[in-house]
Amino acid sequence: MSGGNVNESRRNFLKAMVTIAGLSVLAGMLRGLEVLVPPEVSISGFPRLLLVDENGNPIKASSIPINGKQIALFPYPLDNEPNMLLALGDSSGSPVEVPPTTVIIPQNNVSYDFPGGVGPSKNIVAYSAICQHLGCTFPELTFYPPGVKAITANGPMDKVIHCSCHGSTYDPYRGGAVVTGPTVRPLPAVVLEWDSSTDELYAVKMIGPVIYGHPGYSSPTSQLVKNPTGDLTGGSPISGTSTIVKYYSNPAS
Amino acid sequence: MDMSNGGFWDKVAEILHLKDVPFMGVPDYMFSIEYWLGAIAASALAWQAITGLILLLYYQPSDAYDSTMAIIHNVPFGSILLSSHLYGAYIMILAVYIHGLEVFFRGAYKRPRGAQWVLGVLLFAMTLGAAFVGYSLTGDVLSADAVNVGRGILTALGLSSAIPILFGNGTQLDLFTRLLGWHIIIAAALILFFALHFYLAEQNGFMPDLKESNYRAPALLSRSDSRLKPWWPRNFIFMLAIVLLTWGIILLIPSVLAIPQVLSRVPILLSPYPGPSPTSPEASSVPAYPPWFFLFMYKMADMPFGLAMDTVMGMFIPLIILLLVPALDRSDALHPLDRPWITALFITGLTWVIELSVWSAIQPGVPVKMQWFAITIIPPVVISFGGIYAIRRVWFKVKGELSGSRNRGAGFRLSKGAALSLGYLTSILAIIAIVVSFFLNPIMDGPYVGVMWGTALISFAASLLAYFYVEYIQW
Repeated sequence: MSGGNVNESRRNFLKAMVTIAGLSVLAGMLRGLEVLVPPEVSISGFPRLLLVDENGNPIKASSIPINGKQIALFPYPLDNEPNMLLALGDSSGSPVEVPPTTVIIPQNNVSYDFPGGVGPSKNIVAYSAICQHLGCTFPELTFYPPGVKAITANGPMDKVIHCSCHGSTYDPYRGGAVVTGPTVRPLPAVVLEWDSSTDELYAVKMIGPVIYGHPGYSSPTSQLVKNPTGDLTGGSPISGTSTIVKYYSNPAS
Repeated sequence: MDMSNGGFWDKVAEILHLKDVPFMGVPDYMFSIEYWLGAIAASALAWQAITGLILLLYYQPSDAYDSTMAIIHNVPFGSILLSSHLYGAYIMILAVYIHGLEVFFRGAYKRPRGAQWVLGVLLFAMTLGAAFVGYSLTGDVLSADAVNVGRGILTALGLSSAIPILFGNGTQLDLFTRLLGWHIIIAAALILFFALHFYLAEQNGFMPDLKESNYRAPALLSRSDSRLKPWWPRNFIFMLAIVLLTWGIILLIPSVLAIPQVLSRVPILLSPYPGPSPTSPEASSVPAYPPWFFLFMYKMADMPFGLAMDTVMGMFIPLIILLLVPALDRSDALHPLDRPWITALFITGLTWVIELSVWSAIQPGVPVKMQWFAITIIPPVVISFGGIYAIRRVWFKVKGELSGSRNRGAGFRLSKGAALSLGYLTSILAIIAIVVSFFLNPIMDGPYVGVMWGTALISFAASLLAYFYVEYIQW
């Protein structure tokens, strides 16, 4: 086949060399597929954001309706991370104090300390409005106030946050702990601060598992649950020093 | 992996039916760059399609300039992606020019290849169109100028109703959404037309050496020619080398230009990155340049005949003449000196393009007086026509003596031993360049990764060519 004066073994050696070079170049440039990985958008720490209404006026803690007919949602810490703001009460509409508690994660038995409710009656709490099971959000995931019962694996229950997608149920009176599966992780909680002189509320950080879908959400280590930094990545930052609370009608009321 | 003859690669060929690929094989002498200029343009087109589709994942018409700059600064290998998409266009335009000129001077537009020529001219126009739109997508100060000039030209031509079609309803979002849409539409049409062009090229076959057809059309390579050898694996290996060589060049040049110490000295016409934002203070220091391949048209727009006539003269008349070339010159003569007036016309036109481009680069946007127009436009006509007809007189005297069979490629020949060593060397160089690239950061060291990848591709293409030469070229 070949012309010239090159013997076959040298030709085959060249063929092997060229093949190896070709495979190396291919392997090296496959690294270029990293171009498909979008750059992360993230913020460096949990911001301290004032809760305001749509007109920019601060939300007054004592004026949040107890067991309200509407669900109050606000984004925190990024704009694609909605949370429910709840003023919890009993069936007669009196505030119920939410005490600090230890929340256990059924997935791996790691636990963390939920700081309890804030406000004049210590009944105001806020939880991620994204279900930890498969990411359904409000209105699928919603609060069932006293007297409105969700059909759960434990039978009809009220005073729970229940997800109608797959039936995960959480207890907002106990730090968002798991009541029934299929979820194996509690709802992440927003740590709120109440300024007693102005009656204003601030979101200051998150506690518990990383919000569903953000980096590390499926592996809540004992370090991560105290400071779920994964919440800070994977969405646009909220501009300014406040976050807007919007009201939506609650399908479970 | 069995590297011995008839092992692994024969299996691959069998599974993929590569021996049945219906492409035409060629005689040995056609494994030479002038027969593969179209392949270089097509390789660049493939690079543009690949990188362009990836850029779609990041480009945001709602935020054109910032999203473009974010590709350079934040996306892994993003600086290589963007700058090689720009230089892929440049290389493609250059290759299309050279391919067209080569085809013209060999008389390859003559029968039976007239339709191939017409498709080729349309591909040329579409390439420039896609490049104009693509260049405007960045949203930098030059792109804003280009779009405004485009609006002005359309208005001057009485086509202002086409402005919203091309550039949208006036909002920035509609402008860039449309530019992106048109860029993709033109690119898709380009690929379709290329497919037709390629199909005709395969059906008409490679144009043989002019002596074989005694300088007369139709110049055809007989399918039963004993020198034709199967497409697989010879053409495949050569073609792969051409593709990778082109891609290597497309990666290497902008990456070298993007190295920080070099970048600061690169004139804006050749910069691998977009210019400043139109709203930034630096924008005022940038002269209103079009992309380099439209410099000639930019100078035409300075001519003293009004914008409409300038555009007709600079763009539409040349395009129509190019399209009509097979109809204008219907003789069988293939040698350029046997069809002197059209040869002289082409040389004149080429001279004008170069002349106007250089002038435009030196004096962008300076209006041209009538006497300057005469001084630049008339001499090339006189010199080209006079020169070609003068050389033709000599040509008639020597024509008979040259038509004898001179042995092609009888000059310098690389020995197979030397080619073998070159093959070893370039394979090793390719491997080294790739290894080095692994130590570089995809975001911070983008230009250096590009240099390494470009070097690796070019070296590997060289080793493939060396292997091809040792294994398949007989003498």
